[in-house]
Amino acid sequence: MTARTERTAAAARAARAARTARPPRPQPGVQAGRSAARVVKWLFLGALLVITIGPVLWLLLSSFKTEPELFGSPFGLPQKWSLQNFSGALDAQPLLDYFRNSVLVAVTSTAATIVVATMASYALLHKFRLNSTARLFLFFGLFVPVSAFITPIFYIVYHVGLYNTVWGIALVYSGITLPTAFLIIKTYMDTIPHEIIESAQIDGASFHGVFFRVVVPLTGPGLATAAIFLTIAAWNELLYANLLSENQSAQTLQVGIRNFLASYAANYPQAFAATVMAIAPTILAYAFLSNRVITGMTAGSLK
Amino acid sequence: MAKARQLTVYLAPAVVLVLAFFVFPLVFIAVMGFTRWSGLGAADFIGIQNYQYLYHDPAFITAVENTVIWALVGIFIHTPLCLLVALVLARRPYMWKLMRTLLFLPSVISTTILALLWYFMLDVNVGLINGVLAKIGLKSLTHAWLLDPSTALPSILVPFVVYIGFGMVLFLTQISTIPRELYEAAEIDGANVWQQDLRITIPAIRRAIALQALFVVGYVLKMFEYPFIMTDGGPVNKTMNLSLYIYNQMVTANAYGLAMAAGVVTVALGVVLMSLVLLVLRWLESL
Repeated sequence: MTARTERTAAAARAARAARTARPPRPQPGVQAGRSAARVVKWLFLGALLVITIGPVLWLLLSSFKTEPELFGSPFGLPQKWSLQNFSGALDAQPLLDYFRNSVLVAVTSTAATIVVATMASYALLHKFRLNSTARLFLFFGLFVPVSAFITPIFYIVYHVGLYNTVWGIALVYSGITLPTAFLIIKTYMDTIPHEIIESAQIDGASFHGVFFRVVVPLTGPGLATAAIFLTIAAWNELLYANLLSENQSAQTLQVGIRNFLASYAANYPQAFAATVMAIAPTILAYAFLSNRVITGMTAGSLK
Repeated sequence: MAKARQLTVYLAPAVVLVLAFFVFPLVFIAVMGFTRWSGLGAADFIGIQNYQYLYHDPAFITAVENTVIWALVGIFIHTPLCLLVALVLARRPYMWKLMRTLLFLPSVISTTILALLWYFMLDVNVGLINGVLAKIGLKSLTHAWLLDPSTALPSILVPFVVYIGFGMVLFLTQISTIPRELYEAAEIDGANVWQQDLRITIPAIRRAIALQALFVVGYVLKMFEYPFIMTDGGPVNKTMNLSLYIYNQMVTANAYGLAMAAGVVTVALGVVLMSLVLLVLRWLESL
């Protein structure tokens, strides 16, 4: 190997190291005599895992148990793995209605928010006098505690005639999550090289043409990230879903599950089975797309 | 000109949504906080009476105190825990990716269900916590955690503190942008792992730490599910917080004007707490 290739290789290594920058693994020499620290580290992580994941596993196991088993052997495995609690829960509660409502709310609000936020982000790619004012205006809601607004928002939804409908809930989600969606999408859109847009304009593409044929396709990954964030947020919200619905025609899973479990007549294992069904979609999505979901849910904060 | 019209068309929907769901509510609560109103019919202007009432309502004072306690616990216990886990996982120990995935998992489960889960965990009879205590011979420690005024607030804070997924990932992402050479140089100078974390990593991600503190403040001001589901603010308002207070005044007591005055205080408290975080950040940057 010549000195020159060696230098190039070293430079490439350095560049690679810079890209995947991270604190180096402690060298074996540094670690020697530090096994106590290591034990503490693993005990700490282990304890944290038990506290955070343990309850979820307990819920999963309990959803297969009979009521005497749940009280008698809270830690043991169920004697037989039957789906009886699950079918019982489906019979006892309008879970499928809640499920349908949650899907409608999540899909509608996510789609609407993404369309609105993408259009606004595209407008702000252009230079105009009020650009930074508009940006600030669309961002300021990020820091406002929306629970302070339940009265006026209830008032709006009631007066446009959408109280106790899934559309009312979806509309509110579109509004209160818009600043976050805008942040995610705009941050991503700003990484598109401006030359690409300019050359499309020179080629004669119209304002709308550039949007649909250039900007939207190039923002795809940013839109996917925003969609994950918005769907999970909508799926999991309770305060507004509870405030704006009064029966199963509009109640979402979160509202339904809470009512189910809060009523003392509840059959616990059945209630746990219903809960498992309510969290299954997000957990499954997470199992297949964990990296995407992790970036999606934290993307709003990266900039 | 044509471009102005196109820009307006593209911006209008977003502007309308922000006007409807942020600007209008803000103005509405600021004005209507001075009225007595049951949601139906006309509202009576009563000046600052709502604020006087709030000032003398022990439940409201507790709600403000508890919201501040949540923020302090979030900043000084929850955030350091996120940071500690991020520092450990950033060194990529055995199975670190699996750890990250598992520790983040509760973040995709709704707070409603996590709250219900902890409600059952802490239940006197079915609860796993008392079950474990009884099993390991500490039956004397078993407790009606959520019903005893002295343990109710710490109990509902536990799930908030231990679900570290979001902050952990935020810090891990920031740590991954620190140039590796800094650590190599420190190692040559004989700095051990803890010294490296303290002198290199933590200063390098200080902005992310401040950002996390801001998120925590925003989160605790909106926090509704844990007190609503686990204790409903009780026993005797010991776990009341601002969101639940607003909700109860509006939905249970039909005191819309009072709920909106409490909303104004919530927004104001948010401004104060966030400004404090930003001031501390600026002071740290100037060091």
